[in-house]
Amino acid sequence: MEKNAVIKKAEIIIRQVLKKEKFEWKGELTAEEVNGWDSLSHMIIITELENEFKIKFRLKELNKLGNLDSLITLIQSKV
Amino acid sequence: MNFISPGFALFLSIVFLLYWFVFKNTARLQNILLLVASLVLYAFFNWRFLGLLVFSTLLNFYIGKLIENKKDRKAGKWLLAGGLLVNLGVLLYFKYFNFFSSGSILQVENILIPLGISFYTFQLIGYLIDIYNEEIKSCKDLLVFSCYVVYFPKIASGPIEPAKKFLPQIGVKRSFDYALATDGMRQILWGLFTKIVVANNCASFAQPVFENHEQYPGSTLLLASFFYLFQVYCDFSGYSNIAIGISKLFGIQLSRNFNAPFFSTTIREYWQKWHITLTSWMMKYVFTPLSFSLRYLKKAGILLSIIITFVTVGLWHGTKWNFIVFGLLHGVYFIPQMLFPKKNNERLSHRHTFFLNLARFSKMFGLFFLVMFTCIFFGSRSLTEAFGFINTVFSGSVFSSVVWPPFTSAFKTFITALFIVTLLATEWIQHPRSHELQLDHIKSPYLRRSIYIAIILAILLFGSVMHINFLYSRF
Repeated sequence: MEKNAVIKKAEIIIRQVLKKEKFEWKGELTAEEVNGWDSLSHMIIITELENEFKIKFRLKELNKLGNLDSLITLIQSKV
Repeated sequence: MNFISPGFALFLSIVFLLYWFVFKNTARLQNILLLVASLVLYAFFNWRFLGLLVFSTLLNFYIGKLIENKKDRKAGKWLLAGGLLVNLGVLLYFKYFNFFSSGSILQVENILIPLGISFYTFQLIGYLIDIYNEEIKSCKDLLVFSCYVVYFPKIASGPIEPAKKFLPQIGVKRSFDYALATDGMRQILWGLFTKIVVANNCASFAQPVFENHEQYPGSTLLLASFFYLFQVYCDFSGYSNIAIGISKLFGIQLSRNFNAPFFSTTIREYWQKWHITLTSWMMKYVFTPLSFSLRYLKKAGILLSIIITFVTVGLWHGTKWNFIVFGLLHGVYFIPQMLFPKKNNERLSHRHTFFLNLARFSKMFGLFFLVMFTCIFFGSRSLTEAFGFINTVFSGSVFSSVVWPPFTSAFKTFITALFIVTLLATEWIQHPRSHELQLDHIKSPYLRRSIYIAIILAILLFGSVMHINFLYSRF
């Protein structure tokens, strides 16, 4: 799947989980920099992404995620 | 080991002078001094547990290396399991043996708890898991690793430092940084103020009431719960500020442990600002793996993980049932927020505004009382005592006049309340800064010095040494 298509779907999920109307997508953005993106919402986002893309993450892969770009690359490697 | 003692002040002065004048040339020399000083101080507190500390350090150093060197993931998993088993086994034996053998630590106290065991064991567990998850490389230098474990400013009560943050600092030579050292001194001064003036005066009211709650009416108990919450907060945040400040004197930055938690409007925000290093540890090593394995239960899985995580937080504090209820309540407080999430458009950095609106104030106030309620469980000696305490608070005697505990009076209590207001006002004004006495934005040196002198005077005139030991040193 193309990167832009993955970003589009992921962005919708992140907006929905974080209840954000405004969310400016930047590849280098980390979870700590996004208000409301804490351990709790992180796990909900991960579950929703798994359902949307019909993939399964491993905990080890999630621990290594640095920013939004790395999340997208990980999804792309699985779809 | 108490930071507030002439003996420690002398020890600190000697180590500081040796560190910057004699052992300053290489990182190795600096680390040798820090290691020896830390071990001497630990032995001074209780030499019998020095062997255990050395054993834990060596074991985790070599297990960490073995985990990294194992190409076979299964073998690595077994090594990690072995390491966790030993670390948790030691912790369980010393901290929880009495609980499992009798149901309450109050009945037997045969086993002394080694100083800082909960703090350094959690660091070591995190270290092994991070190596296994390939988040960090194992430390190759035993001297550096030993400093990570036994470093004296943090060994007694944290902050619980992630290896990823601490090891790179200790691995290189530190050069004297005047700005950092003076900033450390200011942070120590604020820590001394919150501990000696606020926490200890709050303790003068709260401690005798919690110890003999059946002798007091509900009004006194309610006031004691209020003062107890501030005692715990100012005691531990005071300790943390002193520890972080001392570490800055040696050119090493420790993690922030508190960030004005009483200005939180949700329980989620509160735990991001209260004992931050413990919350971060729990979220990373308990909540995340747990919620990951339960994620197919959706919100129910997340909620279950939160509750288990906070019961673990309660258990971490102690071996009594009231600590478990304390943790459970905090877990339960998350339920409404998880079930009915609100819209969220604010950026974290813009959330703090100088002027407080009524809606925000009422949320802060409500949350404060919820936390204060859990503090009754935290401060009581048993679950029975906590329920007795709560019964009286919710009885008609809450409207009767306050009975003052020994050595307190309406005037003294008023002064303590004034110091709490000063503390909260300072936190509110200084909120975006790294600590409350970070005064670089005040251009006038006279004003800055006046503030320092006022704090020193407050310590000398209103400080209390009746409850000088730090509450968290027993955890």
